[in-house]
Amino acid sequence: MSVFPDKVLYPPNNPIGDLVRTLVPAPFSDVLNGGLAIFSLLALASLTPVVLIWLERKVAAHFQARLGPMRVGWHGTLQPVADGIKLMFKEILKPEGADTFLFFLAPILPATASFLVLTVLPFDHHLQVTDLNAGVLFVIAASGLSIFGVLLAGWSSNNKYSLLGGIRAGAQMISFEISLALLMLLIVLLSGTASLRGIVLAQQGTILDWWIFKFPLFGLVAFILFLISSTAELNRGPFDIVEAESELTGGFTTEYSGISFAMFFFAEFVNMFVAAALATTLFLGGFLAPQMGWGMLDRLLDAVPGFVWFFAKTYGVIFIYMWFRWTFPRLRVDQLMVFEWKVLLPMHLFLLAVAGFFITMEWIPL
Amino acid sequence: MGKVGIITRGVPKLIDPLPGGRHLIDGIEFIVSWARANSLWPLVYGTACCAMEMMSTGGSRHDWARFGVEVARATPRQADLIVLAGTIVEKMSRPLVTLYQQMPGPKYVIAMGSCAISGGPFIYDSYSVVKGGGRLIPVDVYIPGCPPRPEALLYGIMQLQKIIRTEGRRNPWQVKEPYQVPVADSFSAARTAWAVAELQPLRSPSVQAIKPTRLVRPEYPEVSRQAVKNQGLSGQAILSLIQKTFPAVRPVGPDGLLTDALAAPDSPADLLVPTGSYCDLVNFLKNEPALGMDFLQWITAVDWPDRFDVVSRFLSTSKGHAVVVRTAVDRDEMVLPSLTPLFPAASWHEREVYDLFGIRFTGHPDLRRLFLDDDFPGHPLRKDFRDESRVMARPY
Amino acid sequence: MELPAGFTYRPIQNGATDEYFLNMGPQHPSTHGVLRLVLRLDGENIIEIVPHLGYVHRGIEKMGENQTYLQNIHLTDRLDYLSAYSNNLALCLAIEEALEIGVPERGEYLRVMICELQRIQSHLLWWGVLGMDMGAVTSFLYGFKEREPITDIFEELCGARLTMNFFRPGGSAFDAPETFLPRVREVISSIRKAVDEFHTLLTHNVIFQERTKGIGVLSREKALAYGCSGAVLRGSGVDYDVRKNQPYSLYDQFDFSVPTGTTGDCFDRYLVRLEEMLQATNILEQAVRRFPGGPHRSKVKAQYKLPAGSYWSQVESARGLFGVYVVADGSAKPYRIKYRSPSFSNLQVLSELVIGHKIADLVAIIATLDLVIPDIDR
Repeated sequence: MSVFPDKVLYPPNNPIGDLVRTLVPAPFSDVLNGGLAIFSLLALASLTPVVLIWLERKVAAHFQARLGPMRVGWHGTLQPVADGIKLMFKEILKPEGADTFLFFLAPILPATASFLVLTVLPFDHHLQVTDLNAGVLFVIAASGLSIFGVLLAGWSSNNKYSLLGGIRAGAQMISFEISLALLMLLIVLLSGTASLRGIVLAQQGTILDWWIFKFPLFGLVAFILFLISSTAELNRGPFDIVEAESELTGGFTTEYSGISFAMFFFAEFVNMFVAAALATTLFLGGFLAPQMGWGMLDRLLDAVPGFVWFFAKTYGVIFIYMWFRWTFPRLRVDQLMVFEWKVLLPMHLFLLAVAGFFITMEWIPL
Repeated sequence: MGKVGIITRGVPKLIDPLPGGRHLIDGIEFIVSWARANSLWPLVYGTACCAMEMMSTGGSRHDWARFGVEVARATPRQADLIVLAGTIVEKMSRPLVTLYQQMPGPKYVIAMGSCAISGGPFIYDSYSVVKGGGRLIPVDVYIPGCPPRPEALLYGIMQLQKIIRTEGRRNPWQVKEPYQVPVADSFSAARTAWAVAELQPLRSPSVQAIKPTRLVRPEYPEVSRQAVKNQGLSGQAILSLIQKTFPAVRPVGPDGLLTDALAAPDSPADLLVPTGSYCDLVNFLKNEPALGMDFLQWITAVDWPDRFDVVSRFLSTSKGHAVVVRTAVDRDEMVLPSLTPLFPAASWHEREVYDLFGIRFTGHPDLRRLFLDDDFPGHPLRKDFRDESRVMARPY
Repeated sequence: MELPAGFTYRPIQNGATDEYFLNMGPQHPSTHGVLRLVLRLDGENIIEIVPHLGYVHRGIEKMGENQTYLQNIHLTDRLDYLSAYSNNLALCLAIEEALEIGVPERGEYLRVMICELQRIQSHLLWWGVLGMDMGAVTSFLYGFKEREPITDIFEELCGARLTMNFFRPGGSAFDAPETFLPRVREVISSIRKAVDEFHTLLTHNVIFQERTKGIGVLSREKALAYGCSGAVLRGSGVDYDVRKNQPYSLYDQFDFSVPTGTTGDCFDRYLVRLEEMLQATNILEQAVRRFPGGPHRSKVKAQYKLPAGSYWSQVESARGLFGVYVVADGSAKPYRIKYRSPSFSNLQVLSELVIGHKIADLVAIIATLDLVIPDIDR
């Protein structure tokens, strides 16, 4: 039984895909469509870190009463480009005794993982590569792949700092994976669907119909918990014990140089984008406009394309991530584990129980 | 020459003959050198004072992030630039070279401050300072100053960027040889030049002689001295307390000679102890309730022509009085019982004395050299220490 | 297996987990320069630690024997460059004691004020670096932001930002410029505001308190036995401060209190240093009100020849008890000159503090010990 049959306002089909299908015969149209999707996602995946690195450095600088990159391009906009090109043309070193195959395989995995998640994200009404009906499960499965990259990097480097970083990463990411999965489960429970597009459409209406507000008070708590868990999953401050520069010099990336380090660096920022996009999709109504329930204003807000709203919300969440990182000191390894298993996990289970209770009592308008 | 890569050498050779290929490669070279110049990630490396100014450069006022330099990497694998901030000593030279070798090319070096340029204030008389980082690794830019101001470091970075922008296939980056400065010869050359000059007859002053001027020093009034206010027992009281148990202990006068009584009752107690009762006396100082010397300030040694004096100072934090204890060590034996069982603080002080003077302490749990490498010849703080290969004597 | 230097062989008990050694330094971001630590670890837990010194051992004491007393002043700058003024002062006090040179009142006030400014400046840097070691990079920048105005005062005084070479026997090299008092007033108010800000940013942060409370507990007895001084000793509850107990210069004429801790953990050491900054502003405020006119230096001699004998002077630098022991033989150069550096003893206690803690705690402990490595190595 579909929960929201009368609320579907937009056809799930992509107009560009339809156009291709009408122009090109059947088997080739799918190939062409796939190619187009891969190309646009690649463009997104390679441009996002460039923007985010610049943003991170500028945001950090302005938090810290300084200017940040100023010399290359307008206000240092080309700084990440310079960094990227430099890293590409740098010598690649492999430490003696490192496992060559795994050492060079490891940087590719995190990038692949975040790239896979991009395929199910609904950027707009018609802008989604594929709408899996188990999209949430796919997100959990695909993002779990990035742990392998970090673990392998830590192990194959033949360096004790890397190994410590890798082990820390394994413990941390696997623990917080559970948290994230439980929170996604919560939203699945509330929306009645596991498709990401379905979750967004379940939040139609005014701003109060987003899951952050629609599930009274607990939605806000769940959103904050999601921010915390995803920050930990991203290995960003205050949970950056994996790279903890003052302890482990470089963590699992200690022995990586040149382009293989750049892969990690880029994957980190794509991951951040993906996490923020997920927070947007699950809690903040994804591509939906923030409608207030005032006729004129609503129509005006609705006229703005959905992907603008999507990116605006995502970058808002990203700003919160950056705010976290440049404010808090770092947690210790054991404190992080205690925080996850003794604080976050019980809270998530409690939230799930509350959600179940709300649904059985039919207190949430579905 | 660095390693010859297929991409950096082979591809340009293939493309160059093609029509327009030269411009393509010129363009790529421009972009690559531009990227390298504007993305200098420094290694987190600083040994002494200059590191503070390097940190100030990263601070809000000077902000080297404007040049894209703020991504300081703790691991050399990701660094492009090493700023030699501070003195480099012999023991540090091997790790420094290793760090440089661990960096991936192209890599650049800035020598910041006098110490990294030439040894700076430590060039003469020091037995451990390397006379300039340029002897260990090739330096691209030198920034003078002791320490240089942050603006100077920023200017140095800009100069380095200028150098990097000129790089291309005609002038590729390559591992250069470190610059070896001839040590003693610069002075011998100067000396011979002077000797020759002194043989020449003096030129008569062609122009009017310069009037001798004298710096006018301001007249300052005499002010009586405000002595440090000591608390606790007076020196005389401490001495009489000790002499009750250890009659052989005698005070040392202000001129460093043995006397029978202190010059004044409240002058500081400076006692000479026979070697045999050294540990017992320190034990007494620590455990006698009237004295209560719970704080060992330092232990050091003085090299006299006939003996070594091992000097230590004890302090009572609760009462405020202090005492200096010295004991003579024979030049032939060079052995003294260790104070480590009484004061754990003595451990490193005794290791330092062992390292720099060669006095061995019996009963010390871990008597290794503290500062110098294990294979350092001799003990440098002895008066008879000579090492021409390390110490550059003053030419004046 | 060959053990690293300083470790002794210990058989691993049946069923115990395997141990390994980790080398930190001499180039490591949290060792504040070139300290090298070798850790014996069980997973993340530290079983044993052996510090290795000497990576900036420059032989300053040997050099001092070949330089005149006045030339030695510039070498003291480079020991503990964050309290260069206090170091200068210690040597000048020793010379003054030997030659019985007096200091005019204005000179003494200048000394007290500058030493307190230096203390604030050093603690600001420490606070920033502590935050950075704990992962809060922003505090590093805030510390340096507040530090710059003080550096400006120093620059106006003597032209140097870090290595001052300013005090002379009998006073100071130069008089205070006209802008000195207004600038000090400005600094007093800005520091008081800044310390409040520091409390909101770091002290009241739950993560920070979790990271520092109960970590690296140094008992009162151990602190004394290892010869710790400064905030490390006071954090353990010993109210020993050279400025109070053996007052030099004019410190007995100022009203200030010596903060002490109760438990001796990292958090106590942290609070003591922050409070010391406020106390320093109190001293500065009193000094600004009473700052007298007149000369800043009593006597100028071309050469200082200390009569034969040994002289000792000690000051409370930003890191603790800094002292100079001079053995003179009547010539213009010292026969032997020994510097008692506070960081040397404060570092020695590290091997006791970190046992059983994690690597992350080691970083916090080193940061709260506030080490300056060239001061240790000399």
